[in-house]
Amino acid sequence: MKELDLLKKDWQKNNDSFEQISEKEIYKMIHKQSSSIVKWILIISILEFSLGIILNIILSFTKVEEKNTEFIKGLGIYGYYQAFTIVLYAVIICFIIQFYLMYRTVATTDSTKLLMKNILKTRKTVQNYILFNLITLAAFFITITTFGLKSALLHKTLENGKHLVDISNTIYIISFLVIIAITAVVIGIIWLFYRLLYGILLRRLHANYKELKKIDL
Amino acid sequence: MSENLEHSFVTQLKENQNIIHKICRLYTDCEDSHKDLFQEVTIQLWKAFPKFRGDSKFSTWAYRVALNTAITLYRKNKRSLSTVEYEGRQHFIKDVEYNYEEEEQIKLMYKAVYQLNDIEKALVFMYLEDKDYREIAETLGISEVNARVKMNRIKGKLKKILNP
Repeated sequence: MKELDLLKKDWQKNNDSFEQISEKEIYKMIHKQSSSIVKWILIISILEFSLGIILNIILSFTKVEEKNTEFIKGLGIYGYYQAFTIVLYAVIICFIIQFYLMYRTVATTDSTKLLMKNILKTRKTVQNYILFNLITLAAFFITITTFGLKSALLHKTLENGKHLVDISNTIYIISFLVIIAITAVVIGIIWLFYRLLYGILLRRLHANYKELKKIDL
Repeated sequence: MSENLEHSFVTQLKENQNIIHKICRLYTDCEDSHKDLFQEVTIQLWKAFPKFRGDSKFSTWAYRVALNTAITLYRKNKRSLSTVEYEGRQHFIKDVEYNYEEEEQIKLMYKAVYQLNDIEKALVFMYLEDKDYREIAETLGISEVNARVKMNRIKGKLKKILNP
């Protein structure tokens, strides 16, 4: 292509036409903070990882936690609850370790494709972490409220002196559906927020990665 | 020790800074973003420098990190969305024998290259820098054959932009 060769000639001729940056300026630059995508993913991820843990610690200092424990004990599922908490923390720790190992593999000296792949994988780990959290949160919420609902209805019927059979199945089902609907909406909103957050951050990288993959098809 | 490292890095970067400038020229469209990207590349190079062993040339090594930063890590700012005005800065006064027609063509070519996507720009950049297809393929992480095919497609695309 003739024009491209012309451009090449011009390009190479003008190799040194840039305003030169002094050593002093370079010294200054290397002490500044990076604002790269990877840096942002790291910061956001650390925030995400710490949010749940910090929230738990704060709650454990308040009466809410005590009341919760009492409530769960009252439902007779405290043993399950403890086991559940232990499993939850174990999984979270696994996620953090995995994230850390992946973050370490991100290197600008790799090929562009590999670098992008590693960044996307790192992000995927955090995304899975969030998904896991949301699902367990939903499961937890639904279980507790269902148990709570059942015992509340039971108390009510006993107070009224009526027999248990008097509560129709419809009430059970409607209450259960309402609980599920509320949970779905809340989880949906949180999920949407994450998609948006990472969507903005990684839109360009995704597009470029797709483009690179297309070349090798 | 770390001061020595810093000194060695700064000297080498200063000597090779045109590589980064050239990448900034392709990937940014105003002076502010040019500086922004230059700084980000410098930070990334400095972060990777302890692992640079000198078995390749500093410039070869810097190419890869700089390109990766421009394509992958750099977050474009909103203000750098328009590519038209910056192009005005692109022609140079160094040319002694002024050939109007050629100059016009070169200008149009720059404009056309700006319309390519990030990956295509990377290929064009390495082509302009006289890199062979082996190095282009290695840098981007694609196969050599496909790099060649893609470059031919880009040439076609540029032709189409020039003669719509």
